[in-house]
Amino acid sequence: MASTFAGRRRAAHGAREGADAAVRAAQAEAARIEAAQIELSGVTKRFVTPSGSMFTALRDVDLTIGPGKFCAVVGPTGCGKSTTLTMVAGLDRPSAGAVRVGGRAVSGITPGISFMFQVDALLPWKTVLGNVALGPVFRGVPRKQAQAAAKEWVRRVGLAGFEDHHPHQLSGGMRKRVSLAAALINEPSILLMDEPFGALDVQTKAIMSNELLGLWEQTRPSVIFVTHDLEEAIALADQVVVMTAGPGTVKAVFDIDLPRPRGAVQEIRFEPRFLELHHQIWASLREEVEAAYARTVPETRGGHR
Amino acid sequence: MSEPTGTVAISPQTKADETAGTCHPARRRKTLVWAARIATLVVVIGGWQLLTSAKIVDRFFWGQPSGIAAQLNDWVRHGTAYGSIWLQIWITFKEAVLGFVFGVTAGVIAGVLLGQFRFFAEVLSPYIKIANAIPRIVLGSLFTVALGLGIAAKVSLAAVLVFFVVFFNAFQGVREVDRNLLSNARVLGAPRRAITRHVVLPSALTWIIASLHVAFGLAIIGAIVGEFLGAQKGLGLVIATAQNNFNPDGVFAAMFIIAVLALTAEGLIGLLERRLLSWRPPSHAEAAAV
Repeated sequence: MASTFAGRRRAAHGAREGADAAVRAAQAEAARIEAAQIELSGVTKRFVTPSGSMFTALRDVDLTIGPGKFCAVVGPTGCGKSTTLTMVAGLDRPSAGAVRVGGRAVSGITPGISFMFQVDALLPWKTVLGNVALGPVFRGVPRKQAQAAAKEWVRRVGLAGFEDHHPHQLSGGMRKRVSLAAALINEPSILLMDEPFGALDVQTKAIMSNELLGLWEQTRPSVIFVTHDLEEAIALADQVVVMTAGPGTVKAVFDIDLPRPRGAVQEIRFEPRFLELHHQIWASLREEVEAAYARTVPETRGGHR
Repeated sequence: MSEPTGTVAISPQTKADETAGTCHPARRRKTLVWAARIATLVVVIGGWQLLTSAKIVDRFFWGQPSGIAAQLNDWVRHGTAYGSIWLQIWITFKEAVLGFVFGVTAGVIAGVLLGQFRFFAEVLSPYIKIANAIPRIVLGSLFTVALGLGIAAKVSLAAVLVFFVVFFNAFQGVREVDRNLLSNARVLGAPRRAITRHVVLPSALTWIIASLHVAFGLAIIGAIVGEFLGAQKGLGLVIATAQNNFNPDGVFAAMFIIAVLALTAEGLIGLLERRLLSWRPPSHAEAAAV
């Protein structure tokens, strides 16, 4: 990671500053990791529903994600997982409590963050290259430099040769790769992912998970990865957070002590330690899933009555 | 084309259906379609000619295709009462194009601004609704009195007609921008200006372009009506003169010229559309849809 960072700097500033740039890159690296701790303390989020009543999505969420950690959040539908992400990103404010990133309270858009949405947020009128280059372009990097960086990232996610395609010409998996490149090109200190691979078929999902792990191990941002899929969560993460049925709060945090690099996610799920963890976490998660389900069933019955 | 008293936003999808997508229909089918088209033309024009020659329909009121052709020929050879026919066409075309350009520019600017600043949109929305409900064609009378018989009155009328259609579509287009795309741009650190340029405008462009097809038709209507209300040159004046002389062939002949103008402009806008919206996935809608 440091080498590519330094390399780009060197290209920009000229070879004579090479040593200098390497020092600066190292400093940037240090700053990046320092800035990456995420803390939520007593976070509550309420919404006003269209009918005018109050709806509590999150209640008293306390969660700390260490710098450079990969944290997966699992929980039943509607437990406020996505809401947590938008508050860390600064797209939304908590009703009570505080969100801190790198020790600083979040106000406005959190700097150094990238967000991968459930549906891909690619601009349909831009090519693959244009979409990936958006981050640098928005930050005011000169066009040529931005495009060069984008080209490199398109190559890294395995889409070399597709630079001039438009999103609608790509498959779902390829679009996810573009989103991933667009998210990572800014060299974020935090990567937020909201069920990024939810819409993909099982095989593509496994491939994308492997790619994500590979890229993450190179750059090591802190990650919050929201998912429904417990196997995916365990295979990828250092830490799995189980949330309760809505209003969501943290029920339990499990440390995943599977060694890294993990290798293929398709294979790790047969290891005894994986199964053991899966068993433990599922026991905790199942109660919440059942509680959430039980809550929907009487409602529908009530409707029939 | 009729003058709508209340304008609603035209969805870009309907436009996409109309212009995009030639799959590969069998060649035979294509030939058949063309043959049927020519047959339709022959039946309509031939029937009109026959009915008027046979005096079933009175050609004094309803004209006659051969008379229209003769009238066109006469205009091309000897000009109209107000100078050459090319001059009349040029004047009307100039008025329509200028009105179109002003109307589109103002409509896009107003639509994008109001679409982005909620406060202004809320303040102005009742007035815009009222303005939209007024039959704006009547403004032509005002413009003729205030701005005189020159080109300015016609350009203003055309611009007003164009403005509302484009404005509503631009406004709607800005509001329809995908929230995800906006959030994503914000998270990537885009300043407001960059969001407008890279996300909002391109997204609204589909809507704006969809409105341009209708808008040019309205620009021509504005120019012609303006000339009707008082002018020294232009196709509208030629039509008014033909009407006063009980010359239906003249009215039809001028209508024909205007249709050619409108179709040409429509073709140019179609080219522009294909260029600007080349990123869109090809739709498989029927190309022959009217």
